[in-house]
Amino acid sequence: MKYFFAFLTTCLLTITAAQAEQRTFGAGVTINETIAVSTILDKPEQYVGQQVRIEGIILDVCSKRGCWIYVASDRQGEKIQVKVTDGEIVFPMAIAGRLAAVEGIVEILDISKEQMIAYLQHIAEEKGQPFDPSTVKAERMIRLVGLGAQLLD
Amino acid sequence: MKWRKINNVIHRDLGYLCFGLTILYVISGIAVNHIQDWNPTYSITRSTTAVDLSGVDLQNNNTITLEVLSQLDEQSPLKNIFRVDANTLKIFVKNNNITVYLDRSEVFQEKSIKRPLLFEANFLHLNHAKKLWTWFADLYALALGILAITGLFVLRGKKGITGRGAWLTAAGILIPIFFLWLYT
Repeated sequence: MKYFFAFLTTCLLTITAAQAEQRTFGAGVTINETIAVSTILDKPEQYVGQQVRIEGIILDVCSKRGCWIYVASDRQGEKIQVKVTDGEIVFPMAIAGRLAAVEGIVEILDISKEQMIAYLQHIAEEKGQPFDPSTVKAERMIRLVGLGAQLLD
Repeated sequence: MKWRKINNVIHRDLGYLCFGLTILYVISGIAVNHIQDWNPTYSITRSTTAVDLSGVDLQNNNTITLEVLSQLDEQSPLKNIFRVDANTLKIFVKNNNITVYLDRSEVFQEKSIKRPLLFEANFLHLNHAKKLWTWFADLYALALGILAITGLFVLRGKKGITGRGAWLTAAGILIPIFFLWLYT
């Protein structure tokens, strides 16, 4: 029986070690040229539908499913969401604060005022931030449909 | 060897082989089923705290970081700092993402710790590993299918598939069909 538990412990330790080493997610990055996040946010129509590579610090990670991250823009106060298909890529929370290269397809979403209020209210509640629905208006959300990422630091 | 004996040997040995992963998947399955109500992978604590930043140079990110970490008594390794805008600084330390609101002298902390066992169970069950694990998980699924089929023929007679077993098997098929009918 002691061999059985030793085997189980070894398995768990192996899994933990494997997770600690993960630096590449999904298909990784294949494009060499990096497009600044601010450039995409300024001219999204120029990039919509295109596969691009961005770089930046990961500001936030979806804590429940690891299905999105926010990457900081090169311009202060801005960020861009990278959304991946649930389960296809799973970002661990430990990568928040890390510098990463991310590849994905630029997408523009038209979001109604009601949808935006619900989304921002949920985020504000989760992050303990004040939220004023009266400041919200319908808007376009520019994001990447993520295909892969690579930690750079 | 008679076919039923072979069937029972397969059922018994596959049962032993599948035990560990089945229990792991049971734990993960229940945990993930209730993802709307809780976070099955991380234990997350969020809190807002007031900090005293008087006398601190609010243009200097390093100085602010040292002061905030000191006041929070946060000693985990520093990963990165990022000035989001004039009034917001993000400090990333291991297992804690700290947002400093300079205009309000407030910090918001999001501490996350992997749930022991559940993190590993979900890692395997939800196939975060990909690669070779995908094939192993396919084999496991196949083994479960064989377990189910061989299980039907373990006993013969009134308690076997021609007796009570038939009714229970039919019930097991009808239950998911009922829920499909109910919800679709």
